[in-house]
Amino acid sequence: MQPPSIAELLACFLARDLNDGEELQVGIALPIPEAAVRLAHLMHGPNMELIFLGARMNVHHLHHLPLPAFGWDNRVVRWTESFSDRGHRFDQVKDWHRRVFFVGGLQVDPHGNTNLIGVGEDYQRLRFRGPGSVGTPTLTTHVGRYYIVLNSHTPRIFVPRCDFVSTVGWGDGGADARTRLGLPGGGPRYCITPLCVMDFTEDDKRLRLKSLHPGVTLDQVRAQTGFELVVPDEIPITEAPSEAELHFLRTRVDVDGALRKLG
Amino acid sequence: MTMRTERLLDEDSASAWLVSGMTVAIGEPTPMALVRQIVRRGLKDLTVIGSGLALDLLIAAGCVRKTISYYAGGGFGVPVAPMFRRAAERGEIEVWECEEGILTSGLEAAGKGLPFLPWRGGVGTSLPVINPDLKLFTDPVNGETLLAVPAIRPDVALLHAAQADAYGNVQHHGGPGWIDLFLQRAATRCIVQVEKIVPNEVIRANPWATTIGRADAVVRLPWGAHPWYSRGWYVQDSALLQEYVTAATAAAERQAPEALQRFLDFYCREPASHADYLERVGLKRLLALHEY
Repeated sequence: MQPPSIAELLACFLARDLNDGEELQVGIALPIPEAAVRLAHLMHGPNMELIFLGARMNVHHLHHLPLPAFGWDNRVVRWTESFSDRGHRFDQVKDWHRRVFFVGGLQVDPHGNTNLIGVGEDYQRLRFRGPGSVGTPTLTTHVGRYYIVLNSHTPRIFVPRCDFVSTVGWGDGGADARTRLGLPGGGPRYCITPLCVMDFTEDDKRLRLKSLHPGVTLDQVRAQTGFELVVPDEIPITEAPSEAELHFLRTRVDVDGALRKLG
Repeated sequence: MTMRTERLLDEDSASAWLVSGMTVAIGEPTPMALVRQIVRRGLKDLTVIGSGLALDLLIAAGCVRKTISYYAGGGFGVPVAPMFRRAAERGEIEVWECEEGILTSGLEAAGKGLPFLPWRGGVGTSLPVINPDLKLFTDPVNGETLLAVPAIRPDVALLHAAQADAYGNVQHHGGPGWIDLFLQRAATRCIVQVEKIVPNEVIRANPWATTIGRADAVVRLPWGAHPWYSRGWYVQDSALLQEYVTAATAAAERQAPEALQRFLDFYCREPASHADYLERVGLKRLLALHEY
């Protein structure tokens, strides 16, 4: 079998971290999280509820789900059992502690705060105008946990301070950072990139290297991160997908090989 | 003998409700036929609540002064909508920065006749800094820090749905889009374009399926969401969306506006009617998009 691409590796890593019974909400243009939730649903999460485009579904019984295909394809509503979000989105955020979510970002700071608004010092004259926050501020305020998932790992993304913050991770730092702001959700759990997996230190809630992907060196990660990363004494290699995971991923989730094309 | 008033309008009469300077909210699935009418009529200085292609097209055509913006990207194959990005970076449009929870709170405040509603999502972020209309306040009950979101009152909401009767009873296929009912409740007037008009008996056979009970106008515009999808009718025309993205990207990033102007002329300004537009797209192409 062809060895896993980095995107496949990350999808399998994420899938293992998702638990049966959870609600998994994935926005558009997030292929790795989308593949991960579908893989987890098939392999160990028959009671998971998947939420795509506001449509809630359980598709465990399907041999394979061709849609959504990593983007905005409304045909996904064919599998909908209910529209929790249609016309009254956000009316039940009190129950979002069992919901899991995923965010990307133009910038990420050492405490996992992220930015989808834009890059530049002056908001009126941004150097790069981003897409905007979508629903990420509200979701990350309330969900039980979320993952920061990035398609590249560079010093322009990992910055000491975001120009603008659209989602609060651990604010100014500290285990009580979110409590102080009155944010009930559990905050970001991991930040994953094509180079490594990071978690947060228990006390200061600062980004810490958790594992390196096969073939990636610590020096490489340091050079590509615009601030000092907490580095533990021992750094494991990100666990490779099992044969079963890769088989399920390639034959029932990502049949067209989109994650292999991503690299 | 008195008669119940029909709310069925043709596309010209309905779009005559739209005038320069209004706040126009655009639903999802996207009422593209009415959006094209805005371009054809050359409206200016609109405040637009919308995202994706509709927003970008209106900016490209010079119709927009301000956007109430939660998301401009991704959905049609680009990270950031090209003309939105360019206009925002150059300060050519005003951006009222928000996000979905804040937007729906503002719309709900309008619907409920309140000056504002409190919201938690956005506390701790830059949103109240870059949008001073969003005010952090201490709630008088528990002393928590929350955002006060002012009422957002669209002059008109433009929506697309599957069917309606002549009296403004609207039924979506597979449910309304996520924001449609918020927009309808908040807006002063609501125009819904539909794939077909059905007899009132069809509505009464399943009143639970009626998603909007009192649209101010319904307009029969079959294929009216094209090049976007219309649930249960057709899927999105990805090739045409890509044609727009290519033209808009050239205009935004390479100072080559010709293709974008041709796109606006050919699909929006020159067709005298929605039927003319559909002829330009072509029957074969449309039929290939049938969903089922």
